[in-house]
Amino acid sequence: MLDSSPIDAWEGAAAFFNYAGSGGAVFWFWVMVVCCLVPIVVSLRAEKAAEDEHG
Amino acid sequence: MTPEELQAAITAANVINMEVYYYWATAIMVLIHAGFLMYEMGASRVKHTLASGTKNILAFAFMIPTFYMFGWWIYLAMYGGFSPDFEAGAGGVPWGDSMGPNLQDNATGVFWGAFTLFACTTASIMSGAVIERIRMAAFIILAVILGSVVWNLSAAWGWHYLGWMVTGWGYHDFGASGVVHMISGFFALGVLINLGPRVGKFNADGSANVIRGHSLPMTATGLMLIVVGFFGFLGACVIFPGTPLSWADAQWANIYGQATTLSAICFNTLMAVAGGIIGCYTMTRDPFWMMSGALCGVISAAAGLDMWYPGLAFVVAFLGGLLGPWAAGMLEKFGIDDAVGAVSVHGICGIWGLLAVGIFMGGYPAPSADIPAITFMGQFKGMIVMLLLGFIPGYVISLIMKMMGILRASDGVQETGMDVEVENVAYPEQIHSN
Repeated sequence: MLDSSPIDAWEGAAAFFNYAGSGGAVFWFWVMVVCCLVPIVVSLRAEKAAEDEHG
Repeated sequence: MTPEELQAAITAANVINMEVYYYWATAIMVLIHAGFLMYEMGASRVKHTLASGTKNILAFAFMIPTFYMFGWWIYLAMYGGFSPDFEAGAGGVPWGDSMGPNLQDNATGVFWGAFTLFACTTASIMSGAVIERIRMAAFIILAVILGSVVWNLSAAWGWHYLGWMVTGWGYHDFGASGVVHMISGFFALGVLINLGPRVGKFNADGSANVIRGHSLPMTATGLMLIVVGFFGFLGACVIFPGTPLSWADAQWANIYGQATTLSAICFNTLMAVAGGIIGCYTMTRDPFWMMSGALCGVISAAAGLDMWYPGLAFVVAFLGGLLGPWAAGMLEKFGIDDAVGAVSVHGICGIWGLLAVGIFMGGYPAPSADIPAITFMGQFKGMIVMLLLGFIPGYVISLIMKMMGILRASDGVQETGMDVEVENVAYPEQIHSN
């Protein structure tokens, strides 16, 4: 559905990962950052619940 | 030395390097089986531990001769569908010159070995799902059919440069989200429907009980070994450059002939492992699922591991890490007792892996103009084929076994422990009691 190929042919290709050289790579980079932050928040909430109950 | 002699020497050196590469990739892949062995034994209760281990070891042992007998031939000959190409299959005839030591053929043995280890992986995936109640003979037959027949058909169709799904639809499945993981996961689902749950898994009102394995540390360590083995598995998915069998002289290629690099595989495999673990942690905060999450991640990203932007590989794997435990819960609500989550981790994440390539990776050119580029519909249709090709044989053959009364151990044997059938005990000093 999303045409993310940076190349039209394999001959002479360099960076061939999807979204290479476009804003798409930056976008997915920041989505990755968010995916790393969410579990930290989840873990803080879980620890708080454990501290409140047993601390 | 003439230029021709120099070229011949370079080619000869490349052939030896290729042989070394696949030889050691195959050795690393054995760690997948070692990991599954620990994973399944740890996930079993004490009284079933050795039976689970024996079953897993036998799956490994039976895959090797049966892959030699007919598995490799099926892969070479059946790329067009169900009608074989006998000329192409000649290289896999077990009494042919290529199927033994041959100084003119440095390739067949190491390729056969790598594919045999892929087959062992498929059997191991099923074996975890059915622990603690499947009978040994039935399991061996099912493992052989899955690993030496069904997986070979899926690979011939979707993991072969002439495969009809590749040439017709542009199907792209670099790291085998479909051809290994979906096939195994849905074959296991077909078996599980007929096998039924373990004694005590479900209550009369349909609610499920948690049955804990006897050693979560063993299971977690086994899963980490599987991750190590995946580097051999995925490394063996690329074609070595610079030999008469290679796609190109100067660059690695995937099995379809598109260029790639080991760096690409390294970037994306590590990102996928991490994304899957973090996704599962977010969903469950359970160490068992976190390590299963590594598999969820790799399987979710596997189909496109050769081309993902590493950040997107992480996100795709993260979503796979959320999907795996959720799907396992849904299966349980339908009364399916999958002891290790194999259907959700391999089957459902395999679906996601194929569709993710269709959604995010459209437009990549095929290696030749007469093969379609990657499209969502090509991936979607491929996913349907893999689902049916895995599920139908697993369901039908296990149904026949059920009707013959050879599929499931009796309730009495299950309650005593499946280890009564292997004439040994896992822990003679009775460290554990349950």
